[in-house]
Amino acid sequence: MADLKNKRIITAAVTGAWPKKENNPNVPLTPAEISEDVYACWKAGAAVAHLHMRDDNGNGTMDKNKFAETVKLLRANHPDCDIVLNMTTSGDLYATDETRQIHLKELKPEMGSYDCGSMNWMNSGLFINSPAFLEELGKNMQEWGVKPEIEAFDPGMIANAAYYLKKGVLKAPLHFQFCMGCANGITGSMKNLVFMKETMESLCPGSTWSAFGVGKSAMEMLYGAVAMGGHVRVGMEDNVVYQKGVLADSNAQFVERAARVIREFGLEVATPDEAREILSLK
Amino acid sequence: MSWGPCFMYYHCPECGKKFKSATDMIQDLGPKFGMCPVCGAEGVLDKEGARTPDDADYEEID
Repeated sequence: MADLKNKRIITAAVTGAWPKKENNPNVPLTPAEISEDVYACWKAGAAVAHLHMRDDNGNGTMDKNKFAETVKLLRANHPDCDIVLNMTTSGDLYATDETRQIHLKELKPEMGSYDCGSMNWMNSGLFINSPAFLEELGKNMQEWGVKPEIEAFDPGMIANAAYYLKKGVLKAPLHFQFCMGCANGITGSMKNLVFMKETMESLCPGSTWSAFGVGKSAMEMLYGAVAMGGHVRVGMEDNVVYQKGVLADSNAQFVERAARVIREFGLEVATPDEAREILSLK
Repeated sequence: MSWGPCFMYYHCPECGKKFKSATDMIQDLGPKFGMCPVCGAEGVLDKEGARTPDDADYEEID
């Protein structure tokens, strides 16, 4: 195994819960489209695929059958693809606590998202992650062998993760995804990314981390995370434009750019197996 | 789960200029956020939300 300190994991978040074809015609929505995009991203260097699903109208859904169909298509059509699957638990603001996690129990992906607190969403709705839900989800993920990816939209969510770590709901080493620039969360700036990293290191030492920025901060967070020893997430869940005024051609286009940035820094893009080592998945 | 940037869409009551900024630009733009980039007048908020395909007539200020 190569020196993992010089490896950076690229996570591809290909769909998310909001963008539709009218926002970018290249966003994948169906299980067939999502599975093909995941494969293309893997070919481009992504080690982890963060999966969201859509219903037949293109709206976010936690329908376990959609997750199952996507995995089935990926495995059947691309048996060479060893990408780490990371399934959302937050793909529909109106899903129940049960439907937010049943797919983890049945499909047992290697990773799942764990949104470590509640917040107002886009100044219009509530993104609720109640204490009862987080305790249940954390314990279940341990039982099912699913590694939580702790999505932190502000420093308070890192503090909450430290609390759940002390309580045994979460198990070290933790892995964080710093979600920068989302409305009602911490804004995407280098100063804030440094603060998130330092907060994590003081509260949850020994953790690994990744980051992404939505909108204008996307590139700043990409470069900043790579420079500060973090991993990165890219894809149309977070940005439908590749650069100002230009829609992205594909999710793979984002992955290719992230891989170029990593290599320009003199670092290497982690393979899925290297990501498994870094994230203590095996 | 992310949702892309949340924009605030304005028009200028003085010159009619349409413009938009993502809310995380409040930090960068400070008091200039929501002000007309042409004449400096305080913009009138038209709507807010995620980026939409028909919002190209609002110039993005960042």
